[in-house]
Amino acid sequence: MDIIKIIENTIAAFFGIDAAYFALAAIGLNIQFGYTGLLNFGQSAFMACGAYGLGMTSQYFGVGMWWGILIGLALVVILGLLVGIPTLRLRADYLAIVTIATAEIVRLVVRSVRFKQYFGGSDGINSFSTSFRSLSPFDPGAQYGIRPFQYSGYSLWTMIIGWSLVVIFSFLVYMLMKSPWGRVVKAIREDEDAVRSLGKNVYSYKMQSLIIGGVVGMFSGMIFALDRGSVQPDNYSRDVTFYVLTALVLGGVAKVRGSVIGPMMFWGLYVFSDNFLRELTKDKPFNLFGIGIIQKAQVGPVNYMLIGLGLMLLMTFRPQGVFGSKEEMALDGR
Amino acid sequence: MQAEFGDEVTDTNNSKSRVFAVGRAFAVLLAAMFMFSAPGNAQAADSDNSIIVSVQNQANNNGVSEKKPVVGVKISVTNLAGVAVGEGVTDSVGSVTIPVPAKDDYVVTLDVASLPSGVTLIEGTKTVVNIVKDAFTTNAKRVTFFAGTSGESGASLMDRIAQRLVDGVRLGLIIAICSVGLSLIFGTTGLTNFAHGEMVTFGGLIAFWFNVLLGIPLLIAAPIVIALGGVLGLAMNGVIFAKLRKRGIGLISQLVVSVGLSIMLRNMYLYQFGGRTRPLDDYSLQVAKHLGPVSITMRDLSTTIISFIVLMGVAAYLQRSRTGKAIRAVSDNPSLASSTGIDTQKIIRIVWFAGGALAAMGGVFRGLDEQVGFEMGSGLIFLMFAGITLGGLGSAYGALVGGFLVGLLVELASLVVPAELKNAPALLILIIVLVVRPQGILGRKQRVG
Amino acid sequence: MDAERTYSELAQRARTALASVNASPGVAKPDPILLAENVRRNFGGVTAVDVQHLEVQRGSITALIGPNGAGKTTLFNLLTGFDTPDTGEWMFDSKNLKKVVAHKTASLGMVRTFQLTKSLTKLSVIENMKLGATHQMGEKWWNGLLPFRYRKQEAIIERRADELLKRFKLDHMRDQYAGTLSGGQRKLLEMARALMTNPRLVMLDEPMAGVNPALKQSLNEHIRGLRDDGMTVLFVEHDMDMVHDISDWVVVMAEGRIIAEGTPEQISSNPAVIEAYLGTHQGKSLLEEENA
Repeated sequence: MDIIKIIENTIAAFFGIDAAYFALAAIGLNIQFGYTGLLNFGQSAFMACGAYGLGMTSQYFGVGMWWGILIGLALVVILGLLVGIPTLRLRADYLAIVTIATAEIVRLVVRSVRFKQYFGGSDGINSFSTSFRSLSPFDPGAQYGIRPFQYSGYSLWTMIIGWSLVVIFSFLVYMLMKSPWGRVVKAIREDEDAVRSLGKNVYSYKMQSLIIGGVVGMFSGMIFALDRGSVQPDNYSRDVTFYVLTALVLGGVAKVRGSVIGPMMFWGLYVFSDNFLRELTKDKPFNLFGIGIIQKAQVGPVNYMLIGLGLMLLMTFRPQGVFGSKEEMALDGR
Repeated sequence: MQAEFGDEVTDTNNSKSRVFAVGRAFAVLLAAMFMFSAPGNAQAADSDNSIIVSVQNQANNNGVSEKKPVVGVKISVTNLAGVAVGEGVTDSVGSVTIPVPAKDDYVVTLDVASLPSGVTLIEGTKTVVNIVKDAFTTNAKRVTFFAGTSGESGASLMDRIAQRLVDGVRLGLIIAICSVGLSLIFGTTGLTNFAHGEMVTFGGLIAFWFNVLLGIPLLIAAPIVIALGGVLGLAMNGVIFAKLRKRGIGLISQLVVSVGLSIMLRNMYLYQFGGRTRPLDDYSLQVAKHLGPVSITMRDLSTTIISFIVLMGVAAYLQRSRTGKAIRAVSDNPSLASSTGIDTQKIIRIVWFAGGALAAMGGVFRGLDEQVGFEMGSGLIFLMFAGITLGGLGSAYGALVGGFLVGLLVELASLVVPAELKNAPALLILIIVLVVRPQGILGRKQRVG
Repeated sequence: MDAERTYSELAQRARTALASVNASPGVAKPDPILLAENVRRNFGGVTAVDVQHLEVQRGSITALIGPNGAGKTTLFNLLTGFDTPDTGEWMFDSKNLKKVVAHKTASLGMVRTFQLTKSLTKLSVIENMKLGATHQMGEKWWNGLLPFRYRKQEAIIERRADELLKRFKLDHMRDQYAGTLSGGQRKLLEMARALMTNPRLVMLDEPMAGVNPALKQSLNEHIRGLRDDGMTVLFVEHDMDMVHDISDWVVVMAEGRIIAEGTPEQISSNPAVIEAYLGTHQGKSLLEEENA
């Protein structure tokens, strides 16, 4: 077993691009779910808005990369209104049901043969990142840094942009949640009738929160697409939202630091578990104390099983996150 | 949010021991799941990374597509540099698994000359398929080539509508059966159970285990499967959700826990069963009978009739029996019902058992209708949600009516919507219902926003 | 029983005005701030509220009483837009509220509290208070990102909130989470928070429920204080002592209808009221008071 490799990979994962794009998605989800109490189970669809917004600039509109942000924003607003208008007046579960369904339909539409000319079908869209690459000050071929923090020039570029966005949006969310606007949405999470009785338009605030969170999610999708250099419909499956949710709960909901530290820990743990199990099963299937055998090909499902289990346990025992305080726990007026 | 359901209150003095109790319960559940998965491990021995190619002859019979495997077709896989990676010949189910060294970009080529005489690829189907690295969402990437003629030009519109109606009735009944429990669990406990689809899958997979691996005839196995589904429902309630209610954990948190449960179970199924879909042994090969414009196999006709009888039975039970009335009372107003002396917790247990059993039954039928796979239930959950929303969330009969209508509409919609998007109209229904009549067809109107 | 109490000028004016009003259900008042006409609400075949006519005198403290299930809270919900009636019209300060949604009624100057207190437990007491202020710049999200745009207004709001907290004797809890307050303190906080909206009509749904006797007296004083500050108070209550103590006018509901109106003295001797309450706990206490 190559322990050094496992440790290196794990440490790298804490700061990797995956953690960065997850953090962006989690910051968005935190605005919606953490602060406002909106069960947005379609964050992956908002991410797809960003990715396809970028992709469509080259595929369909033939315009520059910066237009991708505008197209993405337009898509996010349309999607937000589509899922928000019918559900935000109703009890929380409806939003969950409609967002998860919408995210699934969005994925089916973009991967469909029927709309292949716009979205590229299951192959996705590939040639849109050239102008982003050309902005990079680094030599794309060269390796920078020392292990475990060693990246190609292009990866380094996307990572710098990705983590910069994380810092920027963390700051903006911090400001927003300190403001009277933040006060209103936090109050909505606790009791929307109380807020309504004080003259606030609850529906409008929920919609704002949904769309603002969606916009941050959109940037997450963009960073992901730029890093991979392609937009693949299956990267925006509903489970992505749930993994982001798990990462958020891990760090602690309704806290800015939770939405950043959570994804870092999530990827650290995930990569550790994945590498560890792969090493364990490299030569022969691993026998888990006689109650189960893990084959090499089963490492993936076992990892995801652990994520599901982790989400259940966290939500039950530490909804305030692993670093949350006892005080918060006691106040959890559940 | 709604009032707290159930009659328990958090006892702070006791909370520590409760934490341990719930933790133990989770551990027991996990161990049980592993235990359950141990015996069948052998079947999941897919090779590390592979490309599974399947060649199907898709004949169109009056608008019904019938897939038949094409045997003996030569398939080769090369990497982008053109170097051969592997090749193979399709087996009796028209499938061949070609191991590949890693998740990478590949080119899959079908040798047209090896197609049996009289079989041609559908117009527009490429004989060369490029696979990109990222397309490996699991260790196995599936590629399907379709042979035969395509298009439904053969059948008249009326005939196609008739056929869709028949298929829609079948799908609708299955969805209705699956979603009764979902709706009643919501009504009695307030939980929107995102793991309900996994209860459906459970039914399909256990049926597969009995029928294919142990060779027990489905007719004998099905009742056992259904009972086991009920036990799974009881276990979910007893081990997880009853404990969460006892700890006073909010409904939104419970919902998120059910999401975690869904992810965990689905991947357990994947771990256990592997990524491919497989048919049950019994009744898998059937010849369609033609009744006027409609063709249906005896198997599908039987499941339709049985589903219908079961649903009538469920409705009659809810309407007439003492327990059924109690279930409806709790569903209408849990706190009022418990003050009239109904044992709410007992009713909740009954609902979970019945819901699990019905979901498992739906899983068996679905497995007969399509095939068995680890995602068969999670693919349906969204239709189930649309159904119970249409019928009225929490309403006992709403799930029956709504689920049925959604299935029917989805099949009918496929007359105009491409098959790959045939679930999309269900979303449209969902949104329209929520805008126009959020309480659903049979739901009681209550104050909203 | 309360002959020695001294009334403020405003209260006196309301009492004088009401003294000339006939004690009959649906009677017209000299200067109504709230006026409801033919408001009806059915719940699955059961008529929860069926109010033919109701007027609330400006500057008065009006009590809404009635046995359980009389439709008092439902009427509150209907009037404040938290529920929609099947038929009917109602006006607040001669503005028709029929099509006005819940959050708008508050900005019009009509604020309500809830039977089960809705203090926002994870916000601090002062944050709870500041939430109540209307027309805040910083409640627009784009201003939220620019603190200099709302800072000045926030300071003004905070000063007002602190004054109110002092008046309601909650200033020592200012920075605590509202979740740490006692039941009675939460009632006070909710009332104080409602005042942050600068209302002209305050509607209190069972302000005394779950409040310990020691605090009840000070709550009474606070409610009187609202009237003395020029507000109109409409409250739902079961506690007959309190109703007697502080209300200028009493409206009695039973089975969704208004069955009696009058001064507290007139109501306690009204046979229709006694009949409606008979057999219930409240009825007994009402009768006992009669005999005492």
